[in-house]
Amino acid sequence: MSQPTAPSQTVGPEYRPATQLPTATVSTSVSRPNVHILAQTPQLIALLTMIRDKDTNRADFIFYSNRIIRLLVEEGLNHLPVVAKEITTPVGHTYAGVKFEGQICGVSIMRAGESMEQGLRDCCRSVRIGKILIQRDEETSKPKLYYDKLPEDIAERWVLLLDPMLATGGSALMAVDVLISRGVPEDHILFLNLIASPEGAKNFAEQFPKVRVVTAFVDQGLDEKNYIIPGLGDFGDRFYTM
Amino acid sequence: MASAGCRSHYSPPWGNASIIGVAGSSGSGKTSLALAMVASLDLPWVVIMSMDSFYKPLSAEQSKQAFRNEFDFDSPDAIDFDILVDRLRDIKTGQVAEIPMYSFEKHNRLEQTTTIYSPHVLILEGIFALHDQRVLDLLDLKIFAEADADLCLSRRLVRDVKERGRDIEGCIKQWFGFVKPNFYKYVSPQREIADIIVPRGIENTVAISMVSDQIRKTLAHKSMEHQQELKRLGKIAEDAPLSPNALILEQSNQVKGIHTLLMDPATSREDYIFYFDRLAALLVQTACDFLPFTPSQVTTPQGNVYMGLKRTAEASAVVVLRGGSAFETGLRRTIPDCRTGRILIQTNYKTGEPELHYRALPSNIAQHGLVLLLDPQMSSGGAALMAVRVLVDHGVPENKIVFITYLAGRVGMNRVLSVFPDVRIVVAKMGDDMEDRWVEARYLGC
Repeated sequence: MSQPTAPSQTVGPEYRPATQLPTATVSTSVSRPNVHILAQTPQLIALLTMIRDKDTNRADFIFYSNRIIRLLVEEGLNHLPVVAKEITTPVGHTYAGVKFEGQICGVSIMRAGESMEQGLRDCCRSVRIGKILIQRDEETSKPKLYYDKLPEDIAERWVLLLDPMLATGGSALMAVDVLISRGVPEDHILFLNLIASPEGAKNFAEQFPKVRVVTAFVDQGLDEKNYIIPGLGDFGDRFYTM
Repeated sequence: MASAGCRSHYSPPWGNASIIGVAGSSGSGKTSLALAMVASLDLPWVVIMSMDSFYKPLSAEQSKQAFRNEFDFDSPDAIDFDILVDRLRDIKTGQVAEIPMYSFEKHNRLEQTTTIYSPHVLILEGIFALHDQRVLDLLDLKIFAEADADLCLSRRLVRDVKERGRDIEGCIKQWFGFVKPNFYKYVSPQREIADIIVPRGIENTVAISMVSDQIRKTLAHKSMEHQQELKRLGKIAEDAPLSPNALILEQSNQVKGIHTLLMDPATSREDYIFYFDRLAALLVQTACDFLPFTPSQVTTPQGNVYMGLKRTAEASAVVVLRGGSAFETGLRRTIPDCRTGRILIQTNYKTGEPELHYRALPSNIAQHGLVLLLDPQMSSGGAALMAVRVLVDHGVPENKIVFITYLAGRVGMNRVLSVFPDVRIVVAKMGDDMEDRWVEARYLGC
């Protein structure tokens, strides 16, 4: 299998001359309209560099992951509908503003997805959070649903599905199946993800063309064990136990 | 580098400090007189500087003489006029001046210095305040404090024994050996060039109120000049389009939704704080894109290599009090251990003129990779201009300063950027020019 090469380009703000822009590996692009990749700013690349580095300690890993997760949540929330709302400001002007419309909930795919709950709560204080446990079945080597606990009224909510790593996408696809089976419309699901493989992102986006994928970075590819390359190791281990 | 073109000049109210010299015999009550003038003014912009700070450090031999009370401290030669003139020039031009500290117990200059910054009026007091021509050239008012010689001697005895740890015999030896002859030789002739001679020191309330009135007039004049300066810069700013160095946060649905909540007076305070913090974190995050980065190769736990970036400098922050403190929660979400300086700039409600009351900045701020200046609202830009000027005076390069604000008008931003074209402004929402300040009042609840 020939290894696809990762795109390398200069990153940085426009006002800086090209000679002052450092070069880094940036996200692979995915030509699916429902895949939204965060702007590849030097800061985002630096944050990703921190969490990929095997020498980054757990406290830093958690802090820098959280910063990226908050960016994902902010970007994800921007896909939710708003309605016009006009208000009068404290100095007596009218402002044609908007009001957040509809209720949301988070659903984390255990256990790595749970690491994203804090970031979600930083932006949406009292958000309800459901959980889904999907494990790989040792016999069939296919993902299997072990457990789920979701808000009763989930069918009426917008769902932010949380999983930091999207490799083959098996668990994420199954999680979306679970949500749809509970009556959540496909286009009311947003999948928030830190790092995806190109094949995983493409496959997921094709299977569920109405689910919006918000990711920080699409990596180079998968290795023979289906780990993301270069990836960052086991996200759950690095966040919870290492 | 994107610059807004030509650079306008801005002189803060301390830009041309008035310096008042108070000379007089030792024990004539110069210090009390200066203190009485400051007390009668009761303003933070009037500062006293004693020439005692400028005694030359003594050599080992001189030091022995000094401990035997045989060194002549009352001759102009004992004073380091070169350093004094340098520091006075710094103060006159509104720069930061590091003033030496002199120990009378050790007869030597101490390691540490005190900083004098931004006085509108400086009172220089010392027996030779009117001695050196270079000093005289910098003085706006020359005062000579006169007192009876017996009174001078008794005051000096009390002070030197009580406050400077000397014995009576030594003091009397110094008085007749040095103080008295030097008085006739060097101190007394200064009367001739004084503008005002004040007899009887602090008892002379007429003289004190006369000088205070003079200082008050000077301050009022400076304040008026400063306001005119701001108006002039406003005129320049009015006609210009918004400078490219002002970066407005992308008005996404979430950002607009947060604006709607923040600007709606019906929003609860709890919600206001929550959403302001969220937006503050986004603003700080955006400003941090101005940090320098360099390529950095890392290895992942699986042994893969990733070619990423590494920050090469740290950002620190300076909070413009009191409003800027509303940004601190959001700041610490992005940089938990951010070094944070503070300056208090209050806008005088009578004149609309910003006034600098307090500053506490990290000592090495000039070396920081990026300094985020935090103030939630910019209306006329006067306070912002002053805050940037304070940082520049403390050695922070303009292009390392990012001014972060929630609400700002075009004129205010242009006013700042016409004076400091290499500064950057990150703003969440464009507001009206000259909009009243309300953002921090909502956050802080008063």
